[in-house]
Amino acid sequence: MSRIVGIDLGTTNSLVAYIDAQTKEPKCIPGPYGSTLCPSVVSLDADGSIVVGEAARRRLLTQPERTIYSVKRLMGRGAADVQDELKLFPFRIDPNSKSVIRVQLGDKYFTPPEISAFILRELKNWAEAFLGEPVERAVVTVPAYFNDAQRQATKDAGKIAGLEIVRLVNEPTAAALAYGLHEKQRGHVAVYDLGGGTFDISVLKLISTSEGDIYQVLSTNGDTHLGGDDIDNLLQALVRERIRQEHSVEISGKPELSQELRKTLIASKHQLSAALNVDLRFSLGNGAIFAMPLSREHFENLIRPIVDRTMGPVKAALADAHLAPSEIEEVVLVGGTTRTPLIRSTVEEFFGRKPHTELNPDEVVALGAAVQANILERGVSNMLLLDVTPLSLGIETYGGAVSKIIPRNSTIPASAQEQYTTGVDNQTGIDIHVLQGERELAKDCRSLARFILKTAPAPAGLPRIEVKFLIDANGILQVSAKDLRTSEEHSIEVQPSYGINDAEIERMLEESIEYAEQDFAERQLIEARTESEAILSATEKALGNPQGTALPAEERAAIEASVASLRESVLGSDYKLIRRRIDELNRATERLAELLMNSAVQSALEGRKLAEV
Amino acid sequence: MSTPTQAPVATDYFAVFSLPRKLWIEMGALEQKFLQLSWKLHPDNFVNASDAEREASLRRSSELNDAYRTLRNPVDRMEYLLGIEGARREGEQKQQAPPELLEEVFELNESLDELREAKAEGGDLAGLRARLESAEKNFQQKLEQVDRELFAAAKQWDATVDAEASGANVHGEREAVKSRLNELLNRRSYIRNLVGNVQKELL
Repeated sequence: MSRIVGIDLGTTNSLVAYIDAQTKEPKCIPGPYGSTLCPSVVSLDADGSIVVGEAARRRLLTQPERTIYSVKRLMGRGAADVQDELKLFPFRIDPNSKSVIRVQLGDKYFTPPEISAFILRELKNWAEAFLGEPVERAVVTVPAYFNDAQRQATKDAGKIAGLEIVRLVNEPTAAALAYGLHEKQRGHVAVYDLGGGTFDISVLKLISTSEGDIYQVLSTNGDTHLGGDDIDNLLQALVRERIRQEHSVEISGKPELSQELRKTLIASKHQLSAALNVDLRFSLGNGAIFAMPLSREHFENLIRPIVDRTMGPVKAALADAHLAPSEIEEVVLVGGTTRTPLIRSTVEEFFGRKPHTELNPDEVVALGAAVQANILERGVSNMLLLDVTPLSLGIETYGGAVSKIIPRNSTIPASAQEQYTTGVDNQTGIDIHVLQGERELAKDCRSLARFILKTAPAPAGLPRIEVKFLIDANGILQVSAKDLRTSEEHSIEVQPSYGINDAEIERMLEESIEYAEQDFAERQLIEARTESEAILSATEKALGNPQGTALPAEERAAIEASVASLRESVLGSDYKLIRRRIDELNRATERLAELLMNSAVQSALEGRKLAEV
Repeated sequence: MSTPTQAPVATDYFAVFSLPRKLWIEMGALEQKFLQLSWKLHPDNFVNASDAEREASLRRSSELNDAYRTLRNPVDRMEYLLGIEGARREGEQKQQAPPELLEEVFELNESLDELREAKAEGGDLAGLRARLESAEKNFQQKLEQVDRELFAAAKQWDATVDAEASGANVHGEREAVKSRLNELLNRRSYIRNLVGNVQKELL
């Protein structure tokens, strides 16, 4: 079976990690820019190709209309749900969106799963380039508080990207796995995970048994629309108002200026994690410069309401786990936003202990996903994760009330059976409405699916149909029905209220492959050409050096032959051929590279390529 | 790799844990057994297995989790036991006040109405609140009383199970205890609803 990688599909950044064969430790894979963080930004180029990651992030400033960030906020949501987001994010939603919203990039429309699929495919490419083998399966993390529709949308993104998501793992649980491996923790652990767009709190019990370590999630809570983005928005609102007052310049309606300001403010926010004061300076484009000193104190007063909003879920999760703050033995901070000093001090004060921050908060979730991937591959068989469903599952009953059939924080997989019958003679269908949430009325809960249970015409009350609702290990609902009189099993076609059907996924997959083939080959070609330029010029220089001119004629001729064939391949568009010729030239110049090195450092640099010398 | 399909299919939640249908369960042992079975049945063990094995793992591990969730909670456990014993009767009685509580329930509902009215139109909120708070306390005490009676009835039930296991004919007692448990559970859920309503108004 092929390798399974771990992917953190984040609001701001996404990462891919694997288990290093030698050290058995999880490691994040760097991308073409050397960083392990792939900005979750997607841009549609004017020529129709898709740009993802750092290159797309740079386009936020130059081509904001063709570029989208924080798309995770839109996953699994309907047009009516996202009105609040639209006030704060430059999402351009297709006014004709039906149940699934579509966002505009340039002259095209994409669903959020399609955009997430571009990010997943980029990470798949990173992993394949790094590992040198095809990568087809992944464990992908989601916020623990994601509902069924949001999880389903994430799975759909995997399908569209041509990546089999073997398991969705909750982000705080993944972080606990990474920390557990690292710190060998025991007892009750709270994971506080504040990322770019989502907040989760999970309470776990780490148990040692004779067969290995069990990570049992006791409770989870959170807010899928609370994160660093909200802090940025508060800063934006404050500064835009100041700019309006002092310079009579309106930022909204100017996408380039707006993105420039956002970038400046995010940089200032990061600086305030270390500094007590920053000087905000921002060019308004009309020659005027906006300047404003911002102290950490001012910043903290501004964001305190956001920090306070996280504490409600923290208390609720502890209550559900029947634990007091003092009974938590370890606290773990996850997510880039937890670098904020106010958050660290608030969490420390609440639990009365210093939280763990040893692992990089940006990477820890991806590292945990790789650990879980390794468990699923049976690379390790002495760790087991028992997770829970974050929200109660219910069905609508008379009068729009909700009857809860699987309570929140139930260990998954979990199931419930309900029996149904007809109310009038010859009734041919029973309407079933499945919901998720804690509220008492259906209208206040999240609609997951609505379907009609077909029955053969019979006197009222005679049909007896048992419907089984099952939440699988990914936290996703499955429904099946059995006619108790005939024992006949029905498979029910459940169309999720905010989902994409299989035919649409199929179409999107095909389209995404088109984009991907075009993109990937193109990018590989560009990268291979760039690399060959570097090695060609290094070779030329080396051959002119005393060590180069002193080379035996035979060796020199071999190098020149390799140079010629590389030059020739660069004229074509076969990136694989170029790569092969680069390797050939590297081999031909191995000894020359050695000669060129200072003998004192030679041993340290052994195996280096000429272009790196 | 263990195969979930090879293990016998449990007939009820007690059987999942190889337990007799008794109401007193040692929690530590239940947890140990739950963890031990989780190792065997969890879908994580079957990612590379056949569809049939994956399906079986999903079914059996969800059943295990459902069983643990139900048996861990004493009231859910009783409800479940009565359900599989064919003795759980909620139906129309659920909404009806137990006769001995009728008078107090009537007064309480009146106070609740008055409080709602006073909230809407202004009035002596403090006095009404105090009255409702003391009524709530009264019903909380009744709840504790019901719980004590439930505990006693549960012990009786376990005694009949033991007696039956040693060959005695306890059919009559069994039926009596079941209907007693059923009645107590109904009363308990009625009072809990009532207390819940009062707490909502007092918030």
